[in-house]
Formats: sequence, C-alpha cells, structure tokens
Amino acid sequence: MCAGSLALPLASARAETGGIAIVDWALLETALALGLKPLAAVELVLFKKIVAEPPLPDGIIDLGLRGAINFELLATLQPSLIYGSNYSAWANDTLRRMAPVREFSIYLRGQAPYEKAVAAMRGMAGDQGLQETAESYIAETDKYLASVGDRLAHQRQRPILIINLGDARHFRAFGVDSMFGDVAARLGFTNAWATKTAYSATAPVGLERLADHPDATIAVVGPVPPEAARALPRSALWQAMPAVREGRTVWLPNINPFGGLPAARRFARLLAEGLERAT
Amino acid sequence: MSLERLRPTSPALPATLLFVVLGVLAALLFGLQIVHDWPSPGDQLGGIILHYSTLPRGTVALLAGAALGLAGALMQRVLRNPIADPSTLGVVSGAQLAMSGALLYAPSLMAVAREGVAFVGGAFALFLVVALSWRRALDPITVVLSGMLISLIAVAFSSTLILANGEYMMSMFIWGGGSLEQQSWAPTTSLAIRLTLAAFVAVLLIRPLELLALDDANARALGLGVTGTRLAVLTLSVFLAASVTAEVGVIGFIGLAAPNLARMAGARGLRQILVVSPIAGALILLLTDGLVRLISLGISETVPTGAATALLGGPLLLWLLPRLGGSLRSTQQSVALATRVASWRLVLPGLLLLVLGVCALFIGKNGEGWAIATGQLFDLVAPWRAPRFIAAASAGAMLAATGVLMQRVTGNAMASPEVLGISSGAGVGFAAVLVFWPAASRVAELGGAAAGSVIAILLVIAISARHRFAAERFLLSGIAVGSLAGALVTVVMARGGPESMRLLNWLSGSTSRVAPEDAMMALAAAALFIAPLPLLARWLQVLPLGLPFAQSVGLKRSLAASILVLIAALLSAASTLFVGPLSFVGLMAPHMARLAGFARPIPQLAGAVLIGASLMVLADWMARTLAFPYQLPIGLVAAMVGGPYLIWLLNRR
Repeated sequence: MCAGSLALPLASARAETGGIAIVDWALLETALALGLKPLAAVELVLFKKIVAEPPLPDGIIDLGLRGAINFELLATLQPSLIYGSNYSAWANDTLRRMAPVREFSIYLRGQAPYEKAVAAMRGMAGDQGLQETAESYIAETDKYLASVGDRLAHQRQRPILIINLGDARHFRAFGVDSMFGDVAARLGFTNAWATKTAYSATAPVGLERLADHPDATIAVVGPVPPEAARALPRSALWQAMPAVREGRTVWLPNINPFGGLPAARRFARLLAEGLERAT
Repeated sequence: MSLERLRPTSPALPATLLFVVLGVLAALLFGLQIVHDWPSPGDQLGGIILHYSTLPRGTVALLAGAALGLAGALMQRVLRNPIADPSTLGVVSGAQLAMSGALLYAPSLMAVAREGVAFVGGAFALFLVVALSWRRALDPITVVLSGMLISLIAVAFSSTLILANGEYMMSMFIWGGGSLEQQSWAPTTSLAIRLTLAAFVAVLLIRPLELLALDDANARALGLGVTGTRLAVLTLSVFLAASVTAEVGVIGFIGLAAPNLARMAGARGLRQILVVSPIAGALILLLTDGLVRLISLGISETVPTGAATALLGGPLLLWLLPRLGGSLRSTQQSVALATRVASWRLVLPGLLLLVLGVCALFIGKNGEGWAIATGQLFDLVAPWRAPRFIAAASAGAMLAATGVLMQRVTGNAMASPEVLGISSGAGVGFAAVLVFWPAASRVAELGGAAAGSVIAILLVIAISARHRFAAERFLLSGIAVGSLAGALVTVVMARGGPESMRLLNWLSGSTSRVAPEDAMMALAAAALFIAPLPLLARWLQVLPLGLPFAQSVGLKRSLAASILVLIAALLSAASTLFVGPLSFVGLMAPHMARLAGFARPIPQLAGAVLIGASLMVLADWMARTLAFPYQLPIGLVAAMVGGPYLIWLLNRR
C-alpha cells in the first residue's frame, strides 16, 4: 500500500471517499446510519457478529481491538478526523497526534443514553454537512418508537426486565441508564430493574433474583452462551420463574448493548416482534 | 522480638477452638440464609428457590471446599511443600484457560466434557511447573514461584481470549471470579461422585504416601515406585481441583488453607491430615460463601466467592510465613556455570539489539502484507514505531536488571520482578482509579498504578525486613502480597463493566500507547536506575554465597539486600508503569546472560540488560505483526517465545 495515494485532501472527508476514522462502536453505527463510509474503524470482526445492523459496507479498514487500537496503521491512513467517546478516552490524546478527535459520549453512569445518542448523531451530521439526513433519521426513529409503543400498548401493563445471560446461573440486568432500559421506557414500559446499575448493566447476579420480579416480562438479549441455552430448559429454577412458566419470556437476537440510535431501533423492533410472537 | 522464637510453642488448643468457631459460624450463616429464603406458606416459587438454589449452594460449598482441601493436602504431602495448593501451582488457572479456549473454539467439547477439558488444562499447567522446578529437586519455593509464573501466563492467555472474543465475556468473567451460585443439584451430584471416587483412590494411596515420607532411596528399597506414586497423587489432586473449577470456576487458596489449618488444629500424621483437611476446606468455603451472601443480601453487586477466598489467601500466606519454620528447605542453590567468556563478547547481544531495533523500525505490516517502510511511509510510521521500540527496550533492560538483582539477592533461579508484588500492586492502583474515577486521564491512571506499586513494595519490604531479608521469607512475602493484590483485581474484574476491559488490556501489557514523552521517561528511568548498579558489584558477588560468607567478608547482609531490593523495586515499578506488568523477560534474561558465559556480576548485568532489551523488542515486534491489524499482548508473546526455552535452560545439565 503506497502511503502517497492515501494522503487524502481534508475537504473530501465525506461519504464515499471518507477520511474519517471511528474508534467507538456506537459512533460507527451512527455514522453508518447517516450513510457515511468511514475509512477505518475498530474491531470489525466482532462488530459484524454482535451489532448486525446497519450492515457494514466492504472496504472499511479494521483497526484492531477497541482496547488496543492499531495506531500505526491508522497513522498511515492519514485520517482527517477521528470520532471517539469516553470509552476511548485512554486513546484520545494519542489519536490527537494524527488528527483532530471529536468526542461524543453516549454512556455515562446514571444518565439515560437515548438523548445523548441523538446528540451524537446531530453532532456528527453537523461536522459532515448531513443535518437533513440526521434530522429525518431521528424523526423516523422517534416515530418508529411511538408506533411500536402503540402496537405494544396491551403488553405495557406489565413491567419489563431486560437481561443478558452470563451462564446458566447468572444474568445481568439493564437499568434505566442503559439504551435498552431507555428505549423500553420510551415504549411506555416500566423497567422492573429499578435498583442501581453501573454503566447501564449490573454486575452478574444470581438467577434466583429473577423471582423478585414475578409480574415482569423478561426479555433476554443475545448472545446466549451455548451452555446456558442447553441448561436452562432443564433447570427447575428457571422453569419455576413466573415469567418462564407463563410464557412471558422473549429471546432476542444479538443487540449491541452500547450502541447508538440504530441499536435503539433494532432493540425496539426485535422486542416488538418477540412480544407479538409470544402472545 | 523474633517471631521465629515463638514457633516451638505449637498452639494446638486455641487452634482447635478456632476450628470449632469456624464450623459454628459457617453453620450459623448458612442457617441464616435458609431462614432468609424460607418460603411463606403457599409460596411455591420460594420453595423452589430454597430447594434448587439455596440448598445446593450450601452443599456445593461443602463439596468444593472438601475437594480442594483434599487436593491441597495431597499436593502438600507429595511435594513436601506446605504452601502447595491447586491455585499456587497454577492448576486452577490452567483449567480455567482450557475452559475459556474450549468455550470459544470447541463449544461442543465443552458441552460433553467440561471436566475433561478442565483436567487437561490443569494437568498441563502442573506439568510445566514440575518441568520448571525439576532440576531444583522440586524445592518448595521454586515450585511455588514456577506455579505463580505459569498462573500469570495462563491468566494473560485467558485475558487475551476474553479481549478477542467479546461475545461470551461475561461467562469468562464469572468463571474467573468463582461463583457458587446454583440452579440445580447437578453440580452437587457430579462433585459428590467425584469426591467419593477420589477419596477411595486416596485411601489406596495412603500406604505408598507414608513410605514416601522416607527419603526416596529408602522408599525405593521398600519396593515403591516413587515416581509412579507421586504421579498418581498429583493426578488425583489435579482431578479434584479441575472438577471444582469446571463446576464453579476459580476458587483459590482453600487447598492452601485447609491442610495448614488441620495441622494447626493438631492433626498429626498423614491419615489425620487427609481426614481433617477436607473438613476444614468445606467449613472455610461454606463460611466464606456465607459471608459473601451476608454482605450482598439485597445488593445487586456481589463479590464472587472465589475472589473472596483469594482475598483471604494472601494474608493467610503472610500469617503462615513465620510458622513454616524448617519445613522449607534452604533455597540457596549453586547455579550451573557455563564456560566464562571475555567481556568483549558483550558486543554480540549489543549487535542483536541493534539489528532487532532496525527491523522493528523499518519492517512491519500494512493492509496488504509485509512492507519495508521507506520514504513517506517511514515518516508516517516512525513516530509510532520509535517510541514503542525505545519503551520496549528500556522496559526490557529494566526488567532484566531487576531479575539479576532478585536472583542474586535471593539466590533463587526462579526469582523474577513479579515476586516483588509490584506489578500486582500497580494493577490494584490502576483498578482503583478506573472504579472510583471513571473519566480519569492517563496521568491519573499512571499515578494510581505508581501509588499501588509503592504500597505493594513497602508491604513486601516491611514484612521481609522483620526477617532480615532472609531469601525465602522475602520471596514468600512477595508472593503473598502479589496474590492479595491479584485477588483485589479479580474482584474489580468480576464486575464485568467497561473498567474490566480496560483492566484486562492493561494487564495483558502493551507498548502501543506509549507516547514519545513516555518513551523518553522510560529511557531516562532505565539509565538512572541501572547506572549505579556496577558500583554495587561486590554485593552482588557476595550475596548469593549465603549469610556466613557475607559476614566473613564484613558485609552487612540486610543493609546490602535492602538497598538492592529497593533499586529492583524502582526498576520494576518504572517498567510496569510504561508497558504494563510483564515479568517474564526479567526472569529469562539473567539466565540467558549467565549461560552465554557472562558469569561475574557486571558482565552478567550488562549481558542481561542487552538480552532483556532485545527480547522485549522482538516480542513487541511480533505482537505488532503476527495478527495484524489486531495486536497481541506483548507479555504473552514474550512468554510464548521464551517459555519453552526457559524450561529447557533450567533443566540443562
């Protein structure tokens, strides 16, 4: 790869040719939703598996793990702008050595992330001159959430418990400061997990704690460890949980728990499909 | 007053009392839990929780504790080592690594043969530990040092797997923490069967084991296959430990505590110890789990039980230190000497470093494959490669110097910077900053790590000063402080949040984020701390020869040792700050220098520094290119490259 051909003029930091690099998954989702094709982004192998949508266009250069960004590779790509968040705070100063870094933080302890994801999309769109695209995406998302909320109106009298399975014995719950919790609230649900969470989900808790929420609908967000998927159907404890016994458990495919607006939409869609299938 | 003098008065009665108190407390806490979970009439769900969660949790605690207690007692007996147990010997970490690997790359294998996978991992780790310490006749401290090293490497490997595969991260964090949470009786049944089986085999092994207490020659004369017996006993203990790890994850230090508690309670002779240790293990684990549950009643964030037992492990080791007395053989060893060579040959490792440096700077990968950077591309990559090269070389040099100091002061071939507890201490400091100050800058993180390492080394020095820096005490206090710090890090890690990821990244070691200023600081630290060492050459020459000799040449051993340890601490702390906790190079480089023929202190130091720097530069270069664009943890690469060589080297005749 000849470095010379990669020295892009700054002005072309737009769509197709895009000279932007993104070191945070939520912001990568956001950029893809805006129709931007970044030059490079982090941990694309896993992104394809867990995030699933928006689909990742070919030709984006993988910068390695989110926690171990390949700075040298990124430097040879000579990005004109880098998007990072509080999760990449450790790298942001280093990244500034090659290009300006724009920071948008969506997930902060104890704060609802949806509005922050909206702000991140607006901010990014402002940089790239895509304000209209952003506004229509945001409006569409709001409208979509409202319509899903209406569709699920009859399900909303029950609180919802959104969890992720660690193994057959542990789950973690998503609280009000998670995207899932925030979206569920926007859909008109009460989040059954009212206790404190740190960074959107709790530390793993024992399965028997599901019993503290007998009225709730349980939404299990993927990925589900194979061992848990095998053990739970045979587990007397799991089967005894009211939500399981009464068929109020929905299994959702993989969704990025630290995503942007596309993840919010995906969660709403999959939750609605799951709940409608269940009833 | 010296604690040594207290040893002969074996406090059997208070210890028995302690034992009873332990049992009563454990039973009380478990009773409390049952009462708490007792369903009100008609509460079907509550009944099921009591039956399928609360009760099996208690039985699993008892069974797992008993299995670990038995495993520890067997290991301690067969290795004649009062501080051996499945966790100090790396068996548990090996089992965990095998399970993580299988979960990711052979999930169907995990479905059918979870225990088998854990057993293979644990057995392989133990094999490596034995291989590393074979030539030292399985000397207790060398065995434990090797175990710690293998544990660290296994943990680094597991961390890499976790980092590279975000999907099942939570499962792996849960195993690492060790949770006794239950949802059925299956683990209870499985552990009960395995424990019964193991108990039968143990009964069969009692007679050969008793004969083993004689020395090997006598035992052989009585017609005993010494090696076969040892192998059988070790296999049995790995089987027990792996079964526990497969069911509930990493539960540390029960195997260390239980037999020692049994001995203190007055258990004498193999039979008594083999009976009392499992009981002690069962009670300790039930009690710990009871405490953990008591603390977490009503709170969602709990400390995993395994991490809690590990927290007890460090203080327990410290407490055991003065009581171990004569049971630890002297660790002063004559080191195999290679043919001495002239000092001008130091040019060779110097040249090696130079060549590797040029490679590291110019050769790398890009999106299309290997490339030699020239012209404009070089201008682009040099600002990133140069600081990494300088930091890696400086860190390697500092670690190698630390290794030379440590091995010379303690006279133990397995002494490494890790023994100082510094990197684990730094990990705790770093973790504290991540937890309490999530938006902290890099400077704050470095500050936290520095503070943690200072506290750790002060602890180690304070403890070993009480024993006048006697080599084995010093090594053990380092291990104790290190394991305590490691347990604290595990507690933070088990939370599984973004801070766990950051911590994992840091623990796996990396030069990639080194800024040019950092590199310069690392270089300055290396120069500053290594430069005065040649002036202390006489101490380095005399210390390994042992106390009497040092006295005869008028050297105040404790003073000399404390100054050298302090310098070693500074060196190790500086390198930890810049590239993370990577200790393997510090263990390896001094041996390589010695076997290259640099035997006297100054040439060995110089040779080790050059070799250490070269190793680190090579490891960094490989870490950068092997899985491009993904970067491997440099510490792991160093261990993979150097590990087999080190085993060969230490077993060379």
